[in-house]
Amino acid sequence: MALLKVDDLKIHFPIRGGILNRKIDDVRAVDGVSFEVKQGETYGLVGESGSGKTTTGKAIMGLNNITSGDIYFEGTHLNAKKGKKVDVRRDVQMIFQDPYSSLNPRKRVLDIIAEPFRNYEKMTKKEEMFKVQELLEKVGLSSDSVYKYPHEFSGGQRQRIGVARAIALKPKLIIADEPVSALDVSVQAQVLNFLQDIQKDLNLTILFIAHDLGVIKHMCNRIGIMYRGRFVEEGLRDDIFNDPQHIYTKRLVAAIPDVDPRRREEHQSFRAQVKEEYEQSFNDYFDENGLAHSLKPVTDTHKVALPERG
Amino acid sequence: MSNKNNAQEVEETVDFDKFDKSPSGFKIFWKELLKDKLALFSLIFLVLITAFVFGISWILDQDEIVTVDLFAIYEPPSSEFWLGTDYGGRDIFGQLIIGTRNSLLIGILVTVMSGFIGIVFGVVAGYFGGHIDNVMMRIVDFFMVLPNLMIIIVFVAIVPKYSVWSFSLVMTAFLWMGIARLIRSRALQEKELDYVQASRTLGSSHTKIIFTQVLPNITSLIVVTMTLNLAANIGLESGLSFLGFGFPEDTPSLGTLLGYATNPQTLEFRWWIWVPAAVLILILMLAVRNVGEALKRAADARQRRA
Amino acid sequence: MWKFIVRRLIITMPQIVVLSLFVFILASLMPGDALSGQIDPNISRDAIDEMRERLGMNDPWYIQYKDWVVGAVQGDFGDSFRFKMPVTDLIWGRIINTFWLSLVSVIFIYAIGLPLGIISGRYNDRLIDQVITGYTYLGFATPLFIFALVTLWVFGFHFGWFPTGGSVAPGLEPGSMEYILSKLHHLLLPGLSIALIGVVGTVQYLRSEIIDTKQKDFILLARAKGAPESRVYNRHIFRNSVLPIAAFFGYEITMLISGSVFVERIYSYPGMGNLFIESILLRDYSVVTALVLLFGLAAIIGALLSDIILSIVDPRIRIK
Repeated sequence: MALLKVDDLKIHFPIRGGILNRKIDDVRAVDGVSFEVKQGETYGLVGESGSGKTTTGKAIMGLNNITSGDIYFEGTHLNAKKGKKVDVRRDVQMIFQDPYSSLNPRKRVLDIIAEPFRNYEKMTKKEEMFKVQELLEKVGLSSDSVYKYPHEFSGGQRQRIGVARAIALKPKLIIADEPVSALDVSVQAQVLNFLQDIQKDLNLTILFIAHDLGVIKHMCNRIGIMYRGRFVEEGLRDDIFNDPQHIYTKRLVAAIPDVDPRRREEHQSFRAQVKEEYEQSFNDYFDENGLAHSLKPVTDTHKVALPERG
Repeated sequence: MSNKNNAQEVEETVDFDKFDKSPSGFKIFWKELLKDKLALFSLIFLVLITAFVFGISWILDQDEIVTVDLFAIYEPPSSEFWLGTDYGGRDIFGQLIIGTRNSLLIGILVTVMSGFIGIVFGVVAGYFGGHIDNVMMRIVDFFMVLPNLMIIIVFVAIVPKYSVWSFSLVMTAFLWMGIARLIRSRALQEKELDYVQASRTLGSSHTKIIFTQVLPNITSLIVVTMTLNLAANIGLESGLSFLGFGFPEDTPSLGTLLGYATNPQTLEFRWWIWVPAAVLILILMLAVRNVGEALKRAADARQRRA
Repeated sequence: MWKFIVRRLIITMPQIVVLSLFVFILASLMPGDALSGQIDPNISRDAIDEMRERLGMNDPWYIQYKDWVVGAVQGDFGDSFRFKMPVTDLIWGRIINTFWLSLVSVIFIYAIGLPLGIISGRYNDRLIDQVITGYTYLGFATPLFIFALVTLWVFGFHFGWFPTGGSVAPGLEPGSMEYILSKLHHLLLPGLSIALIGVVGTVQYLRSEIIDTKQKDFILLARAKGAPESRVYNRHIFRNSVLPIAAFFGYEITMLISGSVFVERIYSYPGMGNLFIESILLRDYSVVTALVLLFGLAAIIGALLSDIILSIVDPRIRIK
C-alpha cells in the first residue's frame, strides 16, 4: 500500500469580478492529479511555476482548500467531509521554499524548533532543550545556536533550521517545497546531500517539489511532470530522463544544461530540433484548450499523457 | 554520549530563566530614542509632568479646588492664586493640575481600550481573510463614515448616569476603527509569510498563531500607532470638554478650562484662565507626538535591518 | 471605470440604509418625543395617549422607522419644539451659512496647501522646506479649537481686524455689495482657521509624494531627455502627485464637519455646527436627529465623491 495516495485532486480558485463581485471563473491550479508515493522513496514533482505543484503539496498539508478529489495517507482519508478531521500533521511535515520568511524573525531557534514539541508532546524545559540541541546537531548546526535569532544565520543554515523543525516529530513523509531554489547554487548541493543523509537516517519518504530538473535527477527515484495543473508524464528516473515520451518532457530534459563544452554545438542543435518538434506537434500532445490529456501507461512504471488513440 | 548525560550537561551550562522571554524590540527603541534628542527630551518631560501632576493631585484636595468661593471671583494671578481664579472663585492652578491628570488618564484609558478592540478586530479580520474579513471591514467602513464627533456628543448628552467611565466608553466605541484598519492590513501581509503556514503544519492552532506568531511581529506598529493615537485622543477629549461634552462638571479637564474662553470677556481680558491650559495641551500633544515619531523611525530602522 | 463607479454606488446604498437605521435608533434613545414639548400640561393622560396612538407612536418599530424615513425623504423632520418651527426650515438657513464657510475653507486649503506642498517637496531639505515642515509639525499637534480661539483672541479682539461673531453685520440689505463684503469679512477668519490646521495633511502628503516621484525612473528619463526643470514639474510630477489631491476633497468633508462644530461655536457663527450644539444643550432632539442624519449623509457622499474622482485620476485603484 502506498504511503500517500492522491486521487483525482482538483483545486480551483475563484476569480471574482463584475459589479457584484460574483465568481465569474476559476483558476484551475490543480486539475485532476493522481499519484502515489511509496514508503521510503523520493517522489519528485516537477513543473514550471504556476503548474500547480506547490498547490498540490500544500493541499496535502491541509493548507489549501480542496475542490474535489481524495488524499489518503496510510489508507486514512485525509479530506473526508464527515467525521472527525484526521490530524496527520505529526506524520506529514513540510520544508518551505523561502528560508527567510518561513522562520518567524521574532523567535529564537529554540522556540522555532520546539514549536511542534509544545503542540504535541508534554516535555519539560530540559527535555525540550536537549531535543532541540540534538536536532541542531543532526542538521549540522552548532548546538549553541539555540538562543540565536534567524537573521543571524545564512540562507543555507536557515534552511537547515527549517529541516530540523520538520523532522522534530519524526514524521513519515516530508513535503519539500523547492527547498533549495532560494539558495545559492554553491549551498544547494550541500543542503541536498544532507537531506539525503537525513532521509536514510530516519527512513523518510520525501515528496520533492522543484522546477529544477538537475536537482530532481539528483534526488528522486520517481518523478511526475506537471503542466498547467495536470500530469503530462510520470515514471522512474530512468524513464523520464532516458526515455521521455511526452513532447513537453522532452523539451524540459533537452533544456538541462550540459557541462561538457565540447558538445555545446551538438547540444544546441539538439535543443533546436526538440523545439521545432514541440511547436509542430503541440496539438498532438495537448487538447484544444492546451491542457494535457489523461495518463496512459506505456510500461509498468511509465505513464504518459497521450490522446485517446495513443 | 548517553542522553542522560547530555541533558545534565545542558542543565549545567544554561540558565533557563535568564533566556525565558524573547528579548523584544524595546532595546532598539530605547537606543533610537537616546539618539533623538528632541524625543528624549519629550519623553523626560512627559514622565516628569505625569509624576508631578499625579503627585500633586494626590496631595491636593479636588473637592476644595472645585468648591465655589464667591469672594474670589476672577482674581488675576497672585501669590495666593498662582494663576488666578475662574467665575466661581476656583483656583486655576489647582484646576490645571487636576485637569492635566484627568486629561492624561482618559487619554490613556481611551487609547488602551480602543487599541485593544482595534487590534483584536484587525488581526482577526486580516488573519482569517476572505468572507470574515469582508464582513468585518464593512463594519469598519460604516463606523469610519459616521460623523463621529457629533455622535459622541449625542451619546454624551443622552447617556444616563454620566460618568468618566461612560465618557471613555463612548469615545472608545467610535475610535477603534483606524487602528483596526491598520493592523488588518499588516496582518494580511504577515499571514502570507511562510512562517505562519509553517506554524499550521506544526500543529499550532489559529489562536496560538495569532497571539504568539503574528502579533509579536506587529508590536512595533502597535506601539507607534497607540502613541500617536494617545496624542489625538488627548486633543479630542479636550475638544469635547471645551464644548461642554467631556468630563462631568465636577471633574475639570484641560478642555474645561479652555471652555471658559467661550465667554468673550474671559477670552479677551482674563487670559490666565485659558492660556496656560492651551499651552499645556499643545506641549503635551507635541511631546507625545515626538515620542511617537521617534518610535516610528526606530521601527522603520529595525525593519530595514531585519 | 464605469464598472467601478457603479459598484461604488451600490455599496453606498446599504451605507445610507444602515446610517438611517443607526440615527433612528439614536433618536429613539433620546428622551422625550415630538409631543413632550408641545402638549399643554393640563391635557389628561388619556388624551395624550390618544394623540400618541394617532401619531403612530405605539406602532412597531419598523413601521415607525418607515414613517420616519418617508418623512425624511420628503424633508419632513418634524418640528423643533424650542423654536416652534419645522426642523427643515430651521436647518435650511444654517446649511447655507455652513456651506459658505466650508467653501471658503476648502478654497483656502487648496490655495495654501498646493504651493506649500509643492515647494516643500521640490526644495526638500532646504531652508524653505524646513520652515514648511516646521509649520506642519506644529499644525499637526495643534487642536483646531485652540488655534481658532487664539486667532479670535489675537485678530478678532486684540487687533479688532475681524468681526468676532455672527455671519453678517446687522442692518445691511441682503444682496447689496456691502452685504456680500460683510459676509466675506465674517467668513475670512473662521475659514482661515480651519484651513491653516486642515491643510497640514495635504502639505505632508504632497511633500512626500513629490519627493518619492522625483526619484522615479520616468522622471530621471524626462530629465535625461533634456526636459527643462519646469516642464518636468508641470507635466510629470504634477500629474502624478498633485491630481490625487483633488480626490481628497470628499474626505475633507468629514474634517470640515467636525471643524465647523468647533469653529462655528467659537466664532458664534450661525451654521449647522453651532445649531447642533445649541439643540443638544436645549434638548431639542428632533433637530439633533436631523442634523446627525445630514452630517452622516454628507460624509457618505463625500467619501463616494472622493473614490470616484480618485478612480478617474488614478486608474490603479480600480483594479481592486
